[in-house]
Amino acid sequence: MKKLLSAPALFAGAGIFLIVGLLLAFWWAPTDASSMGFSQKIFFYHAPIAETALVAFGVAFVAAIAYLRTQDLRWDRLGYVSIRLGLLFSVLVMLTGMIWGKAAWDTWWAWEPRLTTFLLVCFLYVAYWVLRSVVDEEQRRATYAAVFAIIAFIDVPITFFATRFLPEGLHPVVIQAGDSGMEGRMLTSFLISMLGMTLLLAALIRRDLEIEDLRDRVTDLKTSLGG
Amino acid sequence: MTIEEGVKYVAAAYAIILAVLVVYYFMSARRVSALRRDVEALEDEAKRRRAPAGEAGAE
Repeated sequence: MKKLLSAPALFAGAGIFLIVGLLLAFWWAPTDASSMGFSQKIFFYHAPIAETALVAFGVAFVAAIAYLRTQDLRWDRLGYVSIRLGLLFSVLVMLTGMIWGKAAWDTWWAWEPRLTTFLLVCFLYVAYWVLRSVVDEEQRRATYAAVFAIIAFIDVPITFFATRFLPEGLHPVVIQAGDSGMEGRMLTSFLISMLGMTLLLAALIRRDLEIEDLRDRVTDLKTSLGG
Repeated sequence: MTIEEGVKYVAAAYAIILAVLVVYYFMSARRVSALRRDVEALEDEAKRRRAPAGEAGAE
């Protein structure tokens, strides 16, 4: 079980699902019949990346609560790494969303509910980084960061449900309660890509945690050797 | 939108995603290897420094 959850195994699983998802999206799933047409193919990675970014922020939220309960710095580290990766995925969502917006609606950006709240999420988590960089003392930094991560997470469900509560925006609502909104082959391709992206997030979290552990080890050894 | 019209947008989106993810993957892999080398070197140095101290203690 431990081997199955190791970073290399997770990367391998992610790679397989992402490649299969991509192949199915282009060669098996039908082309969208709406005005989006072929540009809708962007959806098969764009939406899983968006969901994965929100999952990463969710992990950071849980880690923040766990840290405040236990004061264990390993939770702080998990939150920090998750937010870093969440931001990486968020940048990808924004870039691919802009390209898709240009293709589908002939505009790079629109101040509509989903896009605006997602941009706000990005700004909030950038602020999380700024906050971490200005506090030197480790335990205090972790406490402030955890409180901020919990507050910032409030915007995540708002972003997710923005298109459902305010449907007049440009961004389409694809998946709704009781209805995937997709043809069967599209849904299968989407779910496979979604699984791939989630595994990729897990693999990257594991690797980034290893990097942080090794960095600590190097600092400790340098200190014990007298700088 | 036809395939001819949409292909440049779709290609650009997937190129950005794959480029960013692949670059991040290899950067983090390089970082892990470099840090592992640093840890090994520092541990060797720590052992070297402890050895003469141990020998002096035995004398």
